[in-house]
Amino acid sequence: MKAPISWLREYVDVPVEAEQLGQDLTKVGLELGGLERVGDDVVLDFEVTTNRVDCMNVLGLARETAVRYGKPLRRPAADVVESGAPASEVLSVAIDAADLCPYFAARVLEVKIGPSPDWLRARLEAVGVRAINNLVDLTNYVMLETGQPSHAFDLERLPAPGLRARWAKPGEKLRTLDGVERELSAKNGLVAASDGTPLALAGVMGGGDSEVHDGTRLIALEAAYWNPLATRRSARSHSLHTEASHRFERGADPAATRFALDRIAHLVVKLGIGSVRPGIVTAGAIPAARHVVYHPQRTNRLLGVRVPEGEHRRVLVGLGFGVEGGGGSWGVSVPTWRGDVASEIDVVEEVARHFGVDNVPATTPPASRPGRLRDDARFARRVRELLAGAGLHEVISLSMVSDAAQRGVADARVRLANPLSEEGDALRASVAFPGLVQALQLNQRQGRRDVRLFEVGAAFLPMPGAERPREVRRVALLISGPDPQAHWSGRREGADFAELKGLVDGLVESLGAPAPTWEAEGAPGFLHPGQSARLRLGDAAIGWAGALHPDVAAGFDLRDAACLAELDLAPLLAARAAVRFAPLPKFPAVSRDLSVVCPPGLSAAGLESIIRGAAGPTLRHVAFVDRYAGPQVKAGHVSLTLSLRFSDPDRTLVGDEVQRALEAAVQALAAAGAEVRGVA
Amino acid sequence: MADDPTRQLEERARAARAEFDAAVSAATDAAALQALRDRFVGRKAGLVTALMKDLGQLPAEARKAAGASLNALKQAIEGALEVRQAALAAGEREARLQAGRVDVTLPGRPIPRGGRHPLTTVREDLEDIFVAMGYEVYDGPEVEDDYHCFEALNMPADHPARDMQDTFYLDGPGGLLLRTHTSATQIRYMVENERPPEVRIICPGKVYRRDDDITHSPMFQQIEGLVVGKGITLGDLKGTIEVFLHRLFGPQYPVRFRHSYFPYTEPSVEADLGCINCGGSGCRICKQTGWLEILGSGMVNPAVFEAVNRRLGRNAYDPEQVTGFAFGLGIDRVAMLRYGIDHIRLLYQSDLRFLEQFPR
Repeated sequence: MKAPISWLREYVDVPVEAEQLGQDLTKVGLELGGLERVGDDVVLDFEVTTNRVDCMNVLGLARETAVRYGKPLRRPAADVVESGAPASEVLSVAIDAADLCPYFAARVLEVKIGPSPDWLRARLEAVGVRAINNLVDLTNYVMLETGQPSHAFDLERLPAPGLRARWAKPGEKLRTLDGVERELSAKNGLVAASDGTPLALAGVMGGGDSEVHDGTRLIALEAAYWNPLATRRSARSHSLHTEASHRFERGADPAATRFALDRIAHLVVKLGIGSVRPGIVTAGAIPAARHVVYHPQRTNRLLGVRVPEGEHRRVLVGLGFGVEGGGGSWGVSVPTWRGDVASEIDVVEEVARHFGVDNVPATTPPASRPGRLRDDARFARRVRELLAGAGLHEVISLSMVSDAAQRGVADARVRLANPLSEEGDALRASVAFPGLVQALQLNQRQGRRDVRLFEVGAAFLPMPGAERPREVRRVALLISGPDPQAHWSGRREGADFAELKGLVDGLVESLGAPAPTWEAEGAPGFLHPGQSARLRLGDAAIGWAGALHPDVAAGFDLRDAACLAELDLAPLLAARAAVRFAPLPKFPAVSRDLSVVCPPGLSAAGLESIIRGAAGPTLRHVAFVDRYAGPQVKAGHVSLTLSLRFSDPDRTLVGDEVQRALEAAVQALAAAGAEVRGVA
Repeated sequence: MADDPTRQLEERARAARAEFDAAVSAATDAAALQALRDRFVGRKAGLVTALMKDLGQLPAEARKAAGASLNALKQAIEGALEVRQAALAAGEREARLQAGRVDVTLPGRPIPRGGRHPLTTVREDLEDIFVAMGYEVYDGPEVEDDYHCFEALNMPADHPARDMQDTFYLDGPGGLLLRTHTSATQIRYMVENERPPEVRIICPGKVYRRDDDITHSPMFQQIEGLVVGKGITLGDLKGTIEVFLHRLFGPQYPVRFRHSYFPYTEPSVEADLGCINCGGSGCRICKQTGWLEILGSGMVNPAVFEAVNRRLGRNAYDPEQVTGFAFGLGIDRVAMLRYGIDHIRLLYQSDLRFLEQFPR
């Protein structure tokens, strides 16, 4: 809301400069959004909050100013010299829908349309309103002054000499002032002629056919109180937002209707634009003032400071409240322009605003309990630290993804009813796919090849029968491209499945959970069928890992292969085992290397399991130190070299014992079709 | 006299000494030193050893003095050999060290370096400040319903304040939506963790609004705080916010409160921080005002307590008994201010050129 300080000064003595006024009103809740010098004047632009429609006008701002500085408010003159036949002889008004319009008032004016005087034009232009003609300008001027929108109809162009407020019928049509032919619905309130012809979209915009024009002589000037919700729905149904609808939607002042009509009439006579027919024709009634019981002590308790009794009274009276009684319980009547004040707490706020938050001493409430970060939040922090430490960068990507892109992730997905675009028409069912793959794509397009990313966040899974989708906290990670340590001392191979597995197992074990089981079957279809796994912890599937399917990678136009994984956090948190110290070994360990040629179908995990089963408990540690597949072994076979470490906590092992354990392992391997090539 | 055996022995000793002294400084490796040792003090063919054997040919009265003299010579030679050996070893060590010299200005082999997202860093800082002040960190769902997100927050359907929070709705029945603010989570806490008379929580998390332009991201992050108890005042709100902002940004920045409007708090106040960019003199960041809008807050509107009580079916949060304050701020905004990020959408684009600038 723009207000020239010269205009404000017509209603209140402002004891400070414009800048200071702006700062002072900002503190009481009218934030200064801008300040502009226009000639000798200064135009202040206030960002008025939605509840304070009473300050969407200069008089309302002047009232706040008056209370702020303890000055009296001067209301603008609205005395009317009337002449001619009574208005009621040429105009009738009626309300057909009280839920749309509780009060409807009109005056009849005889006018000569022409340009407005310079001062009026200048004032309108200073606040950004285009001057049109003397009468329309006056209605705009008084709206800016009092907050009450009014509308001037050319009375001689009305199809019947009466105005009525009613709901539109579906299918009715109205050409509004902006030249748009609008089809109306039952949501739209109307000002109609008494014969039923639609004339104006009530509280929103006038109609073209009854518009004031240069030859207009007789005016029906209407000012009504339109229901806020009705106005809001009506304006929205046509995607309209006007100065009038903005005010009515937020609750205009029902009593300002008559005042605005009188003020315009006063100015019509004063400026020599025309004359005023006696009387205001009305329908309905101005709603009675609300009453609220107010306990000054409630304000004092809520603020934590004793506000003097006189201050409570000064603020309320200054803002236009009626105050009755005294002591602990006051009867307060709410001014008609304060539709936002409905209960005691609203009155408390008024006193608090003008008493001033600066006058409230700052205190801190003592805490009765220690603060707490929940286990899952601490766990997520640990996950982030570990992965950042392992060289991955955390990303936070939008939860909205393309439903088409995540079709391969889950059969049922959570879709949005009103997405911004198809790229974000569903909630992600996976954190890793397609989110991290798209992130890789973006970075590759910028020429980056070593891309290592992770994200911690929710995946959204529809739950049949449940009220809402499940939000599953997950960690997702992706690695791609050559090792980031491209360096003069040597360069490693690109990211691969083994590196991914090392990352995942390392992460899980560092989190204190047992290493997951990697199962070659059951991974999602967007992964390479031969380089992917479903991960289990005990019986629970906790996620998946693998290389991106080459076809999918091609679809994303990726330069390098990518490996990605996704794990649920809750089962990892639940699987953490308490740490128990194990005594350091007192006796030396014995190491042996074993080279085994594995037939097709025998996995490394299977091999290790056979060896451990046969060798017994003295075999403490198994490491895979070499792998060979090529001309030296049969097609489909793989040669693996393992380093085995034997020890016993209670004694030194003798060579025979180790030898017996090895021989048992060799026999078991042979039974499984695996040939031992060498023992060292 | 020339054939005096004592003199002859002395003469041979002197000659041996002279020869040794010349040779020892010429020996440059361990083998040469060993050869010298053999030649002069070797058990079999050493010159000094041979002289000692010849002591017996001397007259008895001369033997003692000559013997002492030869012993001294032997010790001097052995000592000189040791000194020389140590010197050679030191030289070799030095040569090895020289050979191992590296160019210390070559870059080191990097350790894998990742990093947390700057929003994570800021969020954790915020959490830590409030945990230290006795707050519990509470996380609610991102998919919410109308009751928690609007209705219980005194924003019934068609409330004008909803205009500012254009909402994403989920497809399907139930009117589910993506929460437009973390204020929804304070309602959820009160409904699900009902334990008056004291509540003291912060709720950080993602929120969603249907805005997608240069200054908005359809997803961003907020942190909501709620304190409820007997006798909680606006003064408590002020003190808490001041302490918090000073810990977050530093005590050198002034904090300003001004009245504002939120449907779910009354009175409502916004907190501004003296501009951390210009120090208050006015700049682009603070739109020449010297102040940064940082946080919205207020005393919990009794209508909110009443809405929660209706849901609980009993007067659990009696507005006559308890009061409270709530506050909310944008984690994105704090991060952008702290790091000087000028574009909110950078935060959500997963661009390594951006992420690598935050090595923490």
